[in-house]
Amino acid sequence: MRWFFLILFAIAVMLAVGIGPRGEKFTKPPLYVFPDMDWQYKLKFQKPSDFFADGQGARRPVDGTIPLGYDLPLTEDDFPVGDTYYRTGLFGDFYGDGMPDAVAVDEKLLMRGKERYQIYCTACHGTSGNGQGVVSKYWQIPPTANLLDPRVAGLPDGQIFWTITHGKGLMGPYNGAVPIEDRWAITAYVRVLQGAAAAK
Amino acid sequence: MGNIFPRWLNFLPLQVLIALGGVGTLIVAVIWYSFTPKYTRVGYEPQQPIPFDHSLHAGQLGMDCRYCHSNVEESSHSNIPNAQVCWNCHGPGKVKSDSPKLAVLRQAMDTNSDGYTGEPIRWVQIHETPDYAYFNHSAHVNRGVSCVECHGKVNEMAVVSHQKPLSMGFCLDCHRNPESRLRPIDEITNLDWTAHDLDRDEFYAYLAGKTGKSADELKAEGPEKIDQEALGAYLKDAWNIHPPQDCAACHR
Repeated sequence: MRWFFLILFAIAVMLAVGIGPRGEKFTKPPLYVFPDMDWQYKLKFQKPSDFFADGQGARRPVDGTIPLGYDLPLTEDDFPVGDTYYRTGLFGDFYGDGMPDAVAVDEKLLMRGKERYQIYCTACHGTSGNGQGVVSKYWQIPPTANLLDPRVAGLPDGQIFWTITHGKGLMGPYNGAVPIEDRWAITAYVRVLQGAAAAK
Repeated sequence: MGNIFPRWLNFLPLQVLIALGGVGTLIVAVIWYSFTPKYTRVGYEPQQPIPFDHSLHAGQLGMDCRYCHSNVEESSHSNIPNAQVCWNCHGPGKVKSDSPKLAVLRQAMDTNSDGYTGEPIRWVQIHETPDYAYFNHSAHVNRGVSCVECHGKVNEMAVVSHQKPLSMGFCLDCHRNPESRLRPIDEITNLDWTAHDLDRDEFYAYLAGKTGKSADELKAEGPEKIDQEALGAYLKDAWNIHPPQDCAACHR
């Protein structure tokens, strides 16, 4: 009996060492103790799928269609109906000025614009819009546009919207991350920043 | 005729019982300790194709979580950013664009780079619920549950690891007691925030905008010092939060 308990104790110690404490860092995929129905054969967000030829689970809408309830980042070429100024910032080949009819400029829109500006724009353009964001503090890259500059203040609203959508110079396009209504909200908020700077 | 069975055999049944008890205890202990997400998932720290440093981007640079995870407020799924988002800052002529760590990004984005494939970057998913559990990010972040409650302090992680068990019990802890987790919506992505940071006047002014009552009215009703429970109780009431506890809330 004594031997039995000694061996049991030895096994317990070995198990404890083998299992290790909870929360220990490891890089191999986690063990699934009960994997029942954990992985179902269905389309999942941002996951590959062997069902489609290109191997991607994410699908584009069928050409010429828009899913119900969605406002896709489309250009006029993709879907040439509706309020094109709202979606492009352009009238024909020219930048339009002023907010599109679909966008009501009120406090709610400006607060939304402020929030979105501080998420997507401040890293480079700075919280105040002066082009001295945190990026310029750490890295030597060509200077970021100072949004408070009279040159930028003089640009039509449509061009600001277009620039957020497609980028300009070193700036990348933000049409994927920022939906259309938020781009107009940011445009309106940039006007607020410019007004505040001009009033100083 | 002597005894056929030796005397020690009298104790054999007892010894077998004790031995089985010992072995049984050991088995139960091992299962209890390690057959739980607290053991199997917490600490999972896979190697990513690009060693993206959250403590640098979200911590030191102070970038908002939503710069990259931009759909989290709209969608049930919090998206991994597409390569274009990385490219916005790490494209040619910009920040660290020649870094060898970004080779995979250049293969995905830069048509002039060696080995351009145009293939998406295969990030490794760390936090994963089973396919029969439907967690909705937008429902949580739009009602005052911060990223930090499930993902830990990602802004301090050089390599992201799994910090919370994300077991069903973990979900229910909060669904039964949401007061301990709710916070103002504009602090959702501020992972270092605590209720003590909240200015009392500011809080009631904020709440006034949400509830239709005046700030002074709310202040008269409100507690003297704002701690997490008081704040959570207020927000729960103001936003009419009743976290579902039935099966169909998450399983369908």
